Amino acid sequence: MAVFSCAAAPSHAQSATHSSTEPPAFREVVDETGRSVRIPQPVRRIVSLAPSLTETIYAFGLQDRLVGDTDQCDYPPDAQKKTKVGGGINPSVEVIASLHPDLVLVTKSYNRLNTVHSLEELGIASYATDPHTVADILSSIKTLADVLGVPDAGASIAGEMQHRLDDLGHRIGDLPPKRVLFVVWTQPLISTGQHTFLADALRHAGAVSIVNSSENWPQVNLEEVAKLQPDFLVFAESQPGGTSREVEKLATLPGWKIVHAVRDRRYAVISDAVNRPGPRIASAIEELARQLHPEAFAEKRPDAKKDTKKEPEEENPASRLIGFAQFSLNVPHAPHGYPSSAGGCSCGH
Amino acid sequence: MRPLTFRKLFFQCLILALILFFVVIAALKFGAVPVSLYALGRDLLRVVLRQSSQISSDYGLIIQNIRFPRILLAIIVGASLSVAGTSFQALLRNPLADPYVLGVSSGAAVGAILGLMAEPLLTLPPALGAVLTPLCAFFGAAITITAVYFLGRRQGQIESNTLLLGGVIVTSFLSSIIVFLMRIVNTSNTRGMVFWLMGDLSTSFQKSVFWFLAAGFFVAGGVIYATANDLNILLSGEKEAMHLGVDVRRVRLAVYVAASLLTGLAVSVSGAVGFVGLIVPHIMRFIFGSDHRTLLPTAALGGAIAMVIADTLARIVVAPNELPVGAVTAVVGAPLFIYLLRRRLA
Repeated sequence: MAVFSCAAAPSHAQSATHSSTEPPAFREVVDETGRSVRIPQPVRRIVSLAPSLTETIYAFGLQDRLVGDTDQCDYPPDAQKKTKVGGGINPSVEVIASLHPDLVLVTKSYNRLNTVHSLEELGIASYATDPHTVADILSSIKTLADVLGVPDAGASIAGEMQHRLDDLGHRIGDLPPKRVLFVVWTQPLISTGQHTFLADALRHAGAVSIVNSSENWPQVNLEEVAKLQPDFLVFAESQPGGTSREVEKLATLPGWKIVHAVRDRRYAVISDAVNRPGPRIASAIEELARQLHPEAFAEKRPDAKKDTKKEPEEENPASRLIGFAQFSLNVPHAPHGYPSSAGGCSCGH
Repeated sequence: MRPLTFRKLFFQCLILALILFFVVIAALKFGAVPVSLYALGRDLLRVVLRQSSQISSDYGLIIQNIRFPRILLAIIVGASLSVAGTSFQALLRNPLADPYVLGVSSGAAVGAILGLMAEPLLTLPPALGAVLTPLCAFFGAAITITAVYFLGRRQGQIESNTLLLGGVIVTSFLSSIIVFLMRIVNTSNTRGMVFWLMGDLSTSFQKSVFWFLAAGFFVAGGVIYATANDLNILLSGEKEAMHLGVDVRRVRLAVYVAASLLTGLAVSVSGAVGFVGLIVPHIMRFIFGSDHRTLLPTAALGGAIAMVIADTLARIVVAPNELPVGAVTAVVGAPLFIYLLRRRLA
C-alpha cells in the first residue's frame, strides 16, 4: 500500500506531507465542481455512484478496489456483481458507509447534491466529475486516473480515445453535418440541450442537434421537430432490438408521421454507451458516425484492412491494448449485445 | 367541560412516549444495513454512558450519524404536521382540514423552492443560509393561509366549505407554479426537488437546522397549546365563543400563524408528506376525546410515532433504494381516512 502512495506522491505538488510509515496520508485535490476534497491515500476502497464512473474504474483496471456501485452500473457485466448501494439518484448512504470507502465517485449531472452533503457529514470523501464536452470527458478520465494513483492508465485510455476521435475527424472532416434529433425519451419527447456532452458527442459524429436549448434535457415540441425536419432521429438503446419496436410504434402515431425522418425510417440506433460520459463514448460516437456518414467509411475501410503498415500508427493498437485489455480482464466476453466495441475493433484490425 | 386531570394527561402521554420509544428503537434497528439488536443495545448503552468515543463498529456510526438524525427529523416533522392539522381542524370546525387540503403545504413548498433558488445568489453565512429555506417556507405557508382564509370568507363569516374549496383551488394553482419554477431552475437541482416534493426525509442537515426546527416547534406548539381552552370553546361555533368571552380574532390569528410556521418548518425539510396532519388527529380524537388540552400533546406524539414508522418503511421496503415517505403515508393514510369517514357517516 505504501508503494501506491509513493507512486502518487512525487507526481503531485499538492500531495499532503507524506511519511512512509504513517498510513493515514491525505491528498488535497479540487474536483470538477470546484470543491476541495481530502482524499485518503492510497485509495483502496472505491464506491462509484454512476455507470460511467464504474466503467472508467474497470478501464483503469482498478475493479478490485471497487467495493460498491449502483443498480444502473451494468457494464462491464462484472460490475453487476458488485455490492449495490441503490440507485444513483437515491442511494442508501447507510450501505455506502458500511462499505468503508476511501473515496466515493459521483458525477454532477447524474447524482444529487444531497447525497454528497450526506457523505460529507459522515466524513466520507467524494470526488465529483462534471464533463460538458467530449474533451472534458477525456481530461476528466485523465484527472481521475491521477487521483486514483494510476496516471499512466488514464493517459493511455484518453490517448487512445483521442486518437479514435482524431481519426474520425479526418474521415468525416468536410462532410456537411447531418441534422439530427437525439431522442432521449419519446413520450413526452425529451432531447438533449446544447451544453451537454451528448450534444458535443453528436458534433464529433458529424451531426448537429436541431434542438437549441440551454436546458440540459428539454422537452421538445413535436411541431418544432416537424418544422425543423431532422435528417435523422438518433436513439440510444440498452437492449438490442428494443428501439426498433418503439420506432415502428412511433411511425403509427398521428403526430409523428409528419416528421419525414419517421415516415422514411431514417434512424440511427447506437449503444447507450453514448449516454455515459466514460471510456466507451469514443466508440459510441464512431458507431453513430458510421450510420450517419456511411460514405466516409465505405472506401477507407477496405483500405485500412489491406494496408497493414499504416494500421499501427492510425489505430495505435498498443494503446488500445493497454486501455482495453485491463478493461476486459474480468470480462472474457465483454460485449453483451454490444456492437460498439466489436464495430470499433473491426475497423482497426 | 370535564376538568382536566393532569394525572390522566400524564399517563396518556407516557403511554404514547413509550410507544414512540419502542418505535424509535425499531427504526434504529431496521435499515438497508442489518444491525443486530445486541450491537444496537451495546452502542446505545455507550451513548447513554457518554462513552460515544468507544463506539468503534461502523454499525454504531451508521446508527448514530445516519439513522438517528433522520429519526429525529421524522419526529419533529410528524409532530409539527399533526399539531398543525389539529389546529386547522379546530379553527375551521372541519374534520377535512389539514395543511395539505388548505394548500398551506403547497404554499410552503413554493416558498421553499424560492428560498433554494435565492440561496446561491445571496452571500449568507452558512448558519443563516441553512435556515433560509425554512423561513421562506414559513412565509409561503403564512401567505397561502391568509389568501385561503379570505377566499373562504363571506360577509365577515368563514364558511367551511368555501374555505376548503378555496384550499383546493389554491393548491392546484400553486402546483402549477411549482412545475413552472422547477422548469426554470437549474436542472441538476430539479431532480433533488422532485424527490423532496414527494416527501423525503433522506436529506441530511446541519445541527443548526435541527435546533431551528425544534425551537420553532416548541414556540409554535406552545402558542397553540396556550389557546387550547379557546379552541375547545370554538368547537361550538365562533359566535358562541365570542359570547363566552373568547377573543376569537386574536386566537384565530395566533393559531393560524403558529400552524403556518409548523407547516412551513415541516415542508421545508421533508417536502409534501400528506395525511399525517389529517389522520393522526382523527385517531387521537377517537381514542382520547376532543379536548384540545389532551388532543394537542397526544396528537404531537402520535404524529411523531406515525412519521417514524412511515419513514422506516420508506427506508426498508425497497432497500437499498428508498421510497418517498409521502408515498408511504398516502398508502396507509388514504384507506384509513376512508374508513374513518364511513364510520362517521354510519
